Amino acid sequence: MSLLTVSNLTKSYRCGSKTIAAVDDVSFHIDPGETLALAGPSGSGKSTIARLVLRLIEPDAGRIEFEGNDFLALSGAALRARRTRLQMVFQDPLAAFNPRATVARVLDDPLRIHGIAARAERPRRIAALLERVGLTADVAPRAIHEISGGQRQRVAIARAIATKPSLIVLDEAVSALDVSVRGQILELLLDLQRQERIAYVFISHDLGVVRAIAHRVVLLEGGQIAESGDARTVIDAPQSAIGKALVAAAPRLNRIRP
Amino acid sequence: MSPLRCFLRTPEAVAGAILLAALIAMALSAALLFPGDPQAIAGPALLPPFQDWSLPLGTDRLGRDVLAELFHGARTSLAVGLAAAAAALAIGSVVGTLAGFAGGLVDEVLMRITDAFQTVPGFLLALAFVSVVGPSLGIVVIAIALGTWPGPARVARAEVLSIRERDYVAGARVIGMHPLAIAFREVLPNALPPVLAMSSVIVAAAILTEAALSFLGLGDPNRVTWGGMIAEGRAVLRTAPFLSIVPGIALVLTVLGVYLAGEGIVETTAVRRGLS
Ligand SMILES: Nc1ncnc2c1ncn2[C@@H]1O[C@H](COP(=O)(O)OP(=O)(O)OP(=O)(O)O)[C@@H](O)[C@H]1O
Ligand SMILES: [Mg+2]
Repeated sequence: MSLLTVSNLTKSYRCGSKTIAAVDDVSFHIDPGETLALAGPSGSGKSTIARLVLRLIEPDAGRIEFEGNDFLALSGAALRARRTRLQMVFQDPLAAFNPRATVARVLDDPLRIHGIAARAERPRRIAALLERVGLTADVAPRAIHEISGGQRQRVAIARAIATKPSLIVLDEAVSALDVSVRGQILELLLDLQRQERIAYVFISHDLGVVRAIAHRVVLLEGGQIAESGDARTVIDAPQSAIGKALVAAAPRLNRIRP
Repeated sequence: MSPLRCFLRTPEAVAGAILLAALIAMALSAALLFPGDPQAIAGPALLPPFQDWSLPLGTDRLGRDVLAELFHGARTSLAVGLAAAAAALAIGSVVGTLAGFAGGLVDEVLMRITDAFQTVPGFLLALAFVSVVGPSLGIVVIAIALGTWPGPARVARAEVLSIRERDYVAGARVIGMHPLAIAFREVLPNALPPVLAMSSVIVAAAILTEAALSFLGLGDPNRVTWGGMIAEGRAVLRTAPFLSIVPGIALVLTVLGVYLAGEGIVETTAVRRGLS
């Protein structure tokens, strides 16, 4: 049974007199422990899908089934409780945290809110989370703006795994990082997936990265699915016009690990 | 550069800080320098200033020590000004945050209430409130805050409207934080700087409003206030103008000091934020 099933998802925005279909009748599914990439040009609706799946915005139509339940039927406390299983990592790790927060507070929040660990035990859990993402416990008291971009994205991943989710949506999570740091973060993600069987919705415009870490890929254009299938098959021999254009525009495609 | 050095570079801010420090010193030392009731009779009535050095600023119509009254009046002015401003800022930020963060119907309702309070002149509102409920220090504070909070509420709401679209607010929702916790723990503290920047103007206005209420006889009758002193002096304005002029000057200097020091602080923090 699939972990997440999205059917006929539709979301449009009113822009003056005309409406823009940001997401138009999109359906896909993800299995446990799988990585599904969403790729496509800017404005193709990738972030909108991410926000819909996380219930940060509400769809106009469609269904979202998560872990066998109707995810759109949840609200209030039931929704907040279910959020433990479905997490997100944002593109800009600086914007994704309260500018006044410290690393410890950022990681303390999910543990406290969901009663995952008693107050006395939380510092130890925070240290364990930091260690799990390749940081040391001494960054805990630091302010979010006092650590590097790569460290910050590791903290974001630590926060996402704090509640033991089965699915993490990564919206351009490595795009803002420089190449060497990007490789380390991707390694960390693959390692977490292997050990905890976390599924990823991996949003990226970098087909090289998509080919390296995704099992399957969905190519979007103008809010609609242009093409989908096995990541390597699609990227090595795209059928759709947009797929061909994206592959042609990806410079380093062949130099990334085959 | 340290914030203090930066602050002290502008002469206006220094002047404001000195005036404000003098006012605070007066308020704090009032009970020490002039123990006992400042409203008690201390000498002959209507003694002009600089005649008797035990009563340097002379006495009023009833023979009360003007200097003692001035010091005790500083306490009232400062206490009411700060308390009313704090109350207005607190109410304003809470209402503005709720309206901006919740949006929809809650926003509509709260902002219409804010409009209603803002369209009535603040001083009239304070006047009506005190005349109905009766004058006491607490009531005067509430009355002034009642007419002052809509300004901070609007500023807080505007700031919250921009902050609530940031990724970190979405992040807080994703980890399952309660909406009220997001509004007050995550959003409100980051919306405060522009609201706090209004505080100098608000404190200054609150001090003036308190003086005006006291002048009209609606201050706390058990306390000396500068507004009350001016009103007292009015009866003998031709023969003993100093009775109105002395507290008047104190009021002007206080408002000026609060305003200049406040602007200096805003300037300093703005510069520091610009640098970082
Ligand atoms: N809040 C909004 N109001 C109006 N239009 C919106 C809003 N959010 C997204 N859109 C529109 O929806 C479309 C899809 O946007 P989306 O952010 O999902 O694209 P994207 O694929 O993530 O692009 P990028 O690669 O640049 O991040 C765009 O045309 C965008 O202008
Ligand atoms: Mg996007």
